Amino acid sequence: MNKRILGAFLTVALGAGTIVGIGSYVAAAKNDSRVLAATPDGTLQTPQGNLPHYTLDMSVYPDSMFGGHGKDGGPHPDYVSYGPVTNFSVPAHSAVTITVHQYDSGESITNPFFAKAHGTMDGTMTVNGVKMSEVSPKTVGHTFTLHGLANGKDQLFVSVPLLYVPEEEQPESGYTKTPSVTTFTFITGGEGEYVWNCEFPCGDGTYARFGAVMSTMGYMSGHFNVVNA
Amino acid sequence: MSDLQTKKPQWWKSKDVKITAALWVVLSVLIGVIGGIVNSRPMGQPASETMANTIHIMKLFTWVSAPVAGLVAAIAIKSLMQKMHFGDNPPAEADHQISDSPKATALWLIVSALLCLFALVFGMVVFQRDNNTLLDVHATDVNVTGQQWAWNFDYIDNGKFQSEDLYLPVNKPVHFHVTSLDVVHSFWIVQMGIKVDANPGYVTETAVTPTKIGVYDLRCAELCGLLHAYMQKKVHVVSQQDYNNWVTSHGGTI
Repeated sequence: MNKRILGAFLTVALGAGTIVGIGSYVAAAKNDSRVLAATPDGTLQTPQGNLPHYTLDMSVYPDSMFGGHGKDGGPHPDYVSYGPVTNFSVPAHSAVTITVHQYDSGESITNPFFAKAHGTMDGTMTVNGVKMSEVSPKTVGHTFTLHGLANGKDQLFVSVPLLYVPEEEQPESGYTKTPSVTTFTFITGGEGEYVWNCEFPCGDGTYARFGAVMSTMGYMSGHFNVVNA
Repeated sequence: MSDLQTKKPQWWKSKDVKITAALWVVLSVLIGVIGGIVNSRPMGQPASETMANTIHIMKLFTWVSAPVAGLVAAIAIKSLMQKMHFGDNPPAEADHQISDSPKATALWLIVSALLCLFALVFGMVVFQRDNNTLLDVHATDVNVTGQQWAWNFDYIDNGKFQSEDLYLPVNKPVHFHVTSLDVVHSFWIVQMGIKVDANPGYVTETAVTPTKIGVYDLRCAELCGLLHAYMQKKVHVVSQQDYNNWVTSHGGTI
């Protein structure tokens, strides 16, 4: 083969290989392969009729010692983090009830819109056993906000605030024994890929506090897949 | 001196020029046709006069600029085909010398400048018509807030209620007041042809009159971080009656 052609071919192959390598590395780095599937729980009467009912339990911790971040919290032990995982799977056309145990403190949220429940059944949530539609914007710890692409799939937008645990109730070490508990139910549409993230800016020390933990998958954001049962 | 020696060469009759001219015509048409299709297809059918104007301008500018691109491509292709050289014996110096032509340079600059000026003036005239909507006192005012990585809307004319959805009445002007709570985002309703930056600490404005009932795409057009790709919403354009029903169902007033 002509040396020039061989050289050109090898250059193109090397360039393509480099791009594929970088892409694979980035894809592997950002994704946590562990997925928590929702647990079946009979059926639930909803405005859309009697639907299959599923539940998910998750928690928010003030550091990364819990969950799959590695020994001693992994590379960012001081990052606040959801657990036990950050990727979830729920069935399509079902009622899904999520319970979040929130162990972290908090303060005023920048956007009061996210101090209200959106997209839940009846527009409400249950916070520490009390049914409500919003909490004070000054008492938000984090949020669970689920959204997706405008790509023709069913739209799913669910957002609930998670009540903070006051500083004075936080122990010197470990986690509080009285986390705030928020429960909410929403109805899924057809299958689709969605993402969730926290809308409370908790990336301390970064611009607009949306850097660091807020810009790293696997802590305060993750994937949320609606799949056909 | 003979007549043959004094006669100027008729360069336009040379084979090279004829082939280049033929390539120019073919490539200009191809660029015009393909460019016209590529320009408008990805953004769907226009849902406002603004978008219809935008597509019209893009098609017009594509056809106006196609001969320029076609000529460059034709000369490049012809040159590469004819002057390509392989092997150890380079062609004689005379075969690859570069000659200068001030007239050709001046012509190229003047034509390019006129095309740019035409594009600038034509675009400003067309978009000035759309900006008139900003002054319409009957427009529906909507405050738009961008935040990594979600949008929310305040309907300030209809009882000041908030929504995560954007519903608009058809054939009625809408005035958007856009801001951000963190980094720079860009509020872009694709099929309506409006796009404006959402800047933290500052309110930017844009307006549009939706002309077609349907569901359209709202996207963030400014790379804004981890989940930028998911900063999307559907925009619902509905009849006035359906809009009124939606407003009242969200606690607003008509």
